[in-house]
Amino acid sequence: MVDLIGLAIPFAYLGILVGSLATFSSLYRKRKAAKSTALEPWFGPHVQRNIYLSLLHLEPQPGQEKATPVPDSVLKAALLQRATEDIRRILAIRVAKQPLNLLLQKGSVGDELWQRFLRAEKEMEAELRDVVEEANALATNWGQTIFQSANEMVQNAIVREKVAEIQEKGRADREWWDKERASIQSKFMQELDEEKPVETPKGAASGGVNSDEDAVLVEGGGPASGSAPGSKGGTKKKKAKK
Amino acid sequence: MDDTFTLLPLTIDPATKAISSLDSSLASNLTALNNLHRATVSQPNQIPPPPLPLNPKRSAQIQKMREQGNASLRSRGTPSTAQAQEAIKLYTYGIEMALGRPSWEPAQTVREEAGILYANRAQAYMAAQMWAEGAADAETSVELKRADNGKAWWRRGRCLCEMGRWDDAAEWVRQGLEVAGNEADLAALMKEIDRHLEKGER
Repeated sequence: MVDLIGLAIPFAYLGILVGSLATFSSLYRKRKAAKSTALEPWFGPHVQRNIYLSLLHLEPQPGQEKATPVPDSVLKAALLQRATEDIRRILAIRVAKQPLNLLLQKGSVGDELWQRFLRAEKEMEAELRDVVEEANALATNWGQTIFQSANEMVQNAIVREKVAEIQEKGRADREWWDKERASIQSKFMQELDEEKPVETPKGAASGGVNSDEDAVLVEGGGPASGSAPGSKGGTKKKKAKK
Repeated sequence: MDDTFTLLPLTIDPATKAISSLDSSLASNLTALNNLHRATVSQPNQIPPPPLPLNPKRSAQIQKMREQGNASLRSRGTPSTAQAQEAIKLYTYGIEMALGRPSWEPAQTVREEAGILYANRAQAYMAAQMWAEGAADAETSVELKRADNGKAWWRRGRCLCEMGRWDDAAEWVRQGLEVAGNEADLAALMKEIDRHLEKGER
């Protein structure tokens, strides 16, 4: 009897310990799970996916008994659109992964952001598998090429956007240049107009300068002739040269 | 979330098979979908063929446009304005064809073809003394085809000089020398710009 009571105490102790640990851990896990589902998704709603699935489950319009069947070709196009959006998201994930990892190691971003990111990555994997399956169901072996096509579509969209952007800038440039050229031309014409009347006085002024120079020359000749009086022919010759 | 989706209020036109919705926020997505459907419905199996191998027909047409344009520019000596305009027209057709490829065909091919055509059209614009257009086309060419495109770098630099935008030209050509390496023409243009800027600042 004494033994039993003596044994019961350590067992009760162990029981309480394990029980409290178990409740704590289950509560903690539940809270964590709730938190991760409550996390904001990395990406916004996947509209193309919603469109595709809505087309699969198209409801009859009011007044109609049966919904118009959606032709396969439309479903295929919708799936392709969905795949292009997936490619965009994969690219975004790839670009974000390394910097995010670095920031996490430095402690610049919280663990929550990283959890959101990992969840998005996992969801994308499932999404890709899903699209490949759907593609194979719609056309044999399409699953092998649908993402290649989708990738080119994304790249092509980028190319055309860039071209349109630069050409648009070019048009703005052209308008600027048209104005600039017009103003240069009008300035030039003005200068021409101004130059014409100015030219004669300018010529006269330069003539005046010339005559000044001549005067200096003559003067220069003057002292020389002064220093050598009697040599009148020299001065005369100079004048004649003029 | 994996197994759920938001049901959107979509309707399909029984005749044209066009998808529409009362929700106007979907409009751009649905337009894209309908355009893609129109493009793919004529394809075998109604799906886009794999990007490679490429159908050589369009490439051949584009090349023909380019060669005709080149011939118009290179006829004899310096091309006249009419010849330049003719070349511009031909290159423009080629560019439209290159950019008009179905969207699932390799983007790299589009970049290369359009890149060369834009560089050529820039040259034609320069021959017609349309500097602003030439500058824009050369910039587009560089954007499309970064590697081995020294000519396009030089053409935009030249056009900017012609428009009197010496500072822009200096910045552009300096960048070009970094990317395209020491191309002789580009280096010469840089020297010319530097000389002009020095003169201007004095």
